[in-house]
Amino acid sequence: MNAVETVELKKSFSLKTGLFSRAKASTIVAVEGITLTVPEGQAVAFVGPNGAGKSTTIKMLTGILKPTSGKARVLGFDPWRERQKLVKEIGAVFGQRSQLWLHLPPKDTFDLLAQIYDLGKHDYKVRRDLLVERFELGDFIDTPVRKLSLGQRMRCEIAASLLHRPRLLLLDEPTIGIDVVARQRLRELICQWNKEEGLTVFLTSHDTGDIASVASRMVLINHGRIVLDDTVASVSQTVIQEGLEGDLEQVIAHLFAQPAASSAGLRG
Amino acid sequence: MIKILKQIWAVTKVSARSNLAYPGEVLGRTVFMAVILYIFLKLWQATYSQSGATRLGDMTLAQMLWYLTITESIYMSAPRLTRQVDEDVRTGTLAVRLIKPMSYPLYCISFCLGERSVRFVFNLLIGAVITFCLVGAVPVSPFSLAMLAVACLFGFILDAFGQLIVGLGAFWLEDTSGLFLIYTRLVMIFGGMLIPLELFPHWLKEIVVFTPFPYLVYGPVHLFLHPSLTEFVVLLKSQLICILALGLVAAFVYGQAKARICAHGG
Repeated sequence: MNAVETVELKKSFSLKTGLFSRAKASTIVAVEGITLTVPEGQAVAFVGPNGAGKSTTIKMLTGILKPTSGKARVLGFDPWRERQKLVKEIGAVFGQRSQLWLHLPPKDTFDLLAQIYDLGKHDYKVRRDLLVERFELGDFIDTPVRKLSLGQRMRCEIAASLLHRPRLLLLDEPTIGIDVVARQRLRELICQWNKEEGLTVFLTSHDTGDIASVASRMVLINHGRIVLDDTVASVSQTVIQEGLEGDLEQVIAHLFAQPAASSAGLRG
Repeated sequence: MIKILKQIWAVTKVSARSNLAYPGEVLGRTVFMAVILYIFLKLWQATYSQSGATRLGDMTLAQMLWYLTITESIYMSAPRLTRQVDEDVRTGTLAVRLIKPMSYPLYCISFCLGERSVRFVFNLLIGAVITFCLVGAVPVSPFSLAMLAVACLFGFILDAFGQLIVGLGAFWLEDTSGLFLIYTRLVMIFGGMLIPLELFPHWLKEIVVFTPFPYLVYGPVHLFLHPSLTEFVVLLKSQLICILALGLVAAFVYGQAKARICAHGG
């Protein structure tokens, strides 16, 4: 089964400026026809520069935004018509927005989420203890969130989003602002969860380290369109064959500089 | 239904606990209310003494001061739900709320109830001490206290719906602080916080009872000072009708607002 299926998914926003006779309306196209299939259990990196349409796509896949046109199925659900059913099956972490209660310990947010997701007491306790152990939250599970480091906070965010056993985890820039050590630990945890639990991971990040460590597949978008869809290993291999020197970051920059040629050459 | 009630209760509890995280801030807010309350109490004392009246609006000085204490405690306990909704919409935090299997309006109402219950209890305790020192006690029974608690709860729910509607205006206006100012002043004046409805001109009182404002503040406190089961049932009916009406308006506005969500960027 596919976790994500989209066909020609588009989203445009209308923008009005000025008042009365000076009012002007313009249309901003954020996503321009994305067709994508992600099988269950795969870890996909959704990469692109600022304003490429990554976050808008994620918000359409979670049912928050209604697409202007196109079709999408996420875990078999129509995201915007069956959002209430879908949200029980997915977990999402938006790196710049927190779901934790700042003045309370993470444990309180976990307890609250157990109520919101209607988890059974025993099930919840077993799952929480497992997450606390695996994400190494034991030392600060009872410390108010405001006193935690960014890395500790993000581990709690991801653990919180896994409490209800989601089948798909959407991560929107989860390592933003985190130091190197904490970032690497976070990547390992996501990888581990993907491999051991068969969790589908849909990751957006500007950090090529995230892509290389977590994802097996890379989808590059620019100006709302897919410019590359291939395995991370294949991209690295093709880069070597084409004589492009440098790491993944330079490769991505190269692809954005020449999207048409690169996508033709590298599309899988 | 039980699941929804459990969700509401869970968010209310967490919100209340979150509000208790900074006892200093809670105390600071209460001290501010105590100062305001003391000034108003003195003003009413002067009004009674200058006019030579023993009763104003069918209330003795003691009843009037207790009325003021409780109405002030209710009014000053109101959290700024409009600002919360406003921020959720403007900053895109709404996205985090919408990916949970709980209705966003219900989340806001529950959040508001938790925060408000803590503030109200603190305000009332401090206010009661000051007023007791100035004019002594008024007759209190478990019955009048229970009626006050229930009527206040429904009043808080009603106010939360009112604030939610104002806050959802952010989908069109971006900033709802102007609307919030108008809303709070309407609650202050027509809710009977400053002056009980008995002292309003007759024609104005006739109009005001058709708005939700008296059922937020005046109704519960008047009932506490003049306990009556019949009055209690009438007040509850009025509150429930207003909650239903504002609930429908909030659902309609939220339905319209959802189509305008543009949580793009980051």
